[in-house]
Amino acid sequence: MKGEIKMAEKVDARGLSCPQPVINAHKKMREMESGTFEVLVDTTTSRDNVTRMATREGWNVEVRDEGEDILLVLRK
Amino acid sequence: MKIKKLFSRGSEKYKEGDFRGLLVYPSTSDVILAEKTLKGEGYKVRVVGPPPHLRTGCDLVIEFPLIEQLGIERILKEKGRIPLKVIPISDEILEPIDLCQKKDFGDYLMIRAANMKLVIDKRTEQIVNISGGGCPDVPYLAEMLIGKNLRETHSPKDLGQTICAYALHIAYEEMLKEVD
Repeated sequence: MKGEIKMAEKVDARGLSCPQPVINAHKKMREMESGTFEVLVDTTTSRDNVTRMATREGWNVEVRDEGEDILLVLRK
Repeated sequence: MKIKKLFSRGSEKYKEGDFRGLLVYPSTSDVILAEKTLKGEGYKVRVVGPPPHLRTGCDLVIEFPLIEQLGIERILKEKGRIPLKVIPISDEILEPIDLCQKKDFGDYLMIRAANMKLVIDKRTEQIVNISGGGCPDVPYLAEMLIGKNLRETHSPKDLGQTICAYALHIAYEEMLKEVD
């Protein structure tokens, strides 16, 4: 529908230990190939690992603090 | 028996009841140099985690076939790589800890060696994650290796200098065996 705001798909990787957040994000990247999706993590290690992998795959990563969580917006 | 096969050297085969020993060094770099020396001389040794009560600040020891002890000690003495201790594994309590653990995530495979984890996408053999450690060269190693095909990159041992790089190298070698 015209004017409809499409919500970005979200991968909730909170509470998951390494390397699961990276694997989940990588699966979504492979599935989408391009576009925008979000990854929600709750540790700086997950933030760094997902960001590093996504950047290497040519995705732009925007990092937003969301209280105790961290939202990564991935675009390609 | 995997261990016997591991320690076979030339026509010499380990027999049931043969023993292994551990070479203990003060630092990881000493372990790496001694391993290189012994492998260079044709000895089938392997780097493992020490049993807890043998830890001396270094998280690695070298496991060797005890039958080769004299030759090994002679070579190490000649090369100036004398270990702090040479300990026969005579008891279960002295059993070393295998450094590598494997975890299958479906399309992804993780090998953990000591404190380092290496993850690949099994379909493409691309490295998707490197984590663990705490050594200063880990971010550099991750930067150099993530996104690369496992078979088309340098070994972590050639890129880094620390125990983390060495542990990652062990994981990398194990991963290569897995995908072959």
